Amino acid sequence: MKRTLPLLLSAALILAFAQAAMSQQDIKSLAPQAFGKLTRPAAQFNHEQHNEKAGLTDCVVCHHGGADGKIDKSASTEGTPCADCHKVKAEGKNTSLMNAYHKQCIGCHKAKGKGPLACGQCHKR
Amino acid sequence: MNAAYQFVTGPLAWAAWGIFLLGSAYRLISMYQLAKAKDPTAIAYMSWHFSLRSIINWLIPFNALGWRKSPAMTIATFAFHACLFLTPIFLVAHVLLWDQAFGVSYATIPDGAADIMTLVVIAACLYFAGRRLVQPEVRYITTPQDWLALIIVLAPFLTGFLAYHQAIDYDAMIILHVVAGEIMLAAIPFTRLSHMVFAVFTRAYMGSEFGGVRHARDW
Repeated sequence: MKRTLPLLLSAALILAFAQAAMSQQDIKSLAPQAFGKLTRPAAQFNHEQHNEKAGLTDCVVCHHGGADGKIDKSASTEGTPCADCHKVKAEGKNTSLMNAYHKQCIGCHKAKGKGPLACGQCHKR
Repeated sequence: MNAAYQFVTGPLAWAAWGIFLLGSAYRLISMYQLAKAKDPTAIAYMSWHFSLRSIINWLIPFNALGWRKSPAMTIATFAFHACLFLTPIFLVAHVLLWDQAFGVSYATIPDGAADIMTLVVIAACLYFAGRRLVQPEVRYITTPQDWLALIIVLAPFLTGFLAYHQAIDYDAMIILHVVAGEIMLAAIPFTRLSHMVFAVFTRAYMGSEFGGVRHARDW
């Protein structure tokens, strides 16, 4: 009985972490519901594979904060869907949802000289 | 791949647009100076009324006698020129590139329609090629320059179609497509494609001479 509680606790902890990790591993493509019917096939994006390849450990590199069209790289927003701030039709000074994805991905790939740049490299048929 | 893509969509794109715009301006200015030196009477007879009358009448399919004489060619050339301009200018992917580069955005045509319009351009190119091979009166006046112009125009549409459908090797195809488009832009002022900038003036010249000198229609 003395050993059951810590065992249960650790099991709960492992499960909690595993679930968090699972939900990220599940991301294979970017197709937020906000877009509705997609013009092109959803952009291929494996969250875990990408971050391992890119050597990313800091969430804020992509999951940035900010307001009024200004990016704040100190305020991390992981867990908040992109579509919460970036609307399909741009609102205020925030760029549109599609532009947010395109700028975020292509901008970084250009700067790093690695990763897809052309349409069909992400939007694979 | 990244370096190549960035080169063809960056410096090479600027060069192609520069050659196209400055080259076209140069060709127009030098042609005007040549006309002024060699044929000043023609310039004196140029008239807005007769020019526009000729241009408008030739812009209507089957209106001019020349169009009525070859109905198949009329359909092919009108469909070809309309799709040739509308498809690349209003293609979703191209408008997105303008938006990303300069923040400029405007109306687009659905990808499905653009796909069909691209096939129209390719089919018309094949028709033009067949015509140059088969029709004796066209074959007789065909020069290598005509074939060059046809290939230069066909290339960006063929590679664009293959890249859109991600056929063969996409990474290579998209670079080929960009380069083919840039070759077409840069070739406009210096090949038979220059009729893009000269056609209205050719028509205006004919219209003015027929209207003002011969007092006749030229359509």
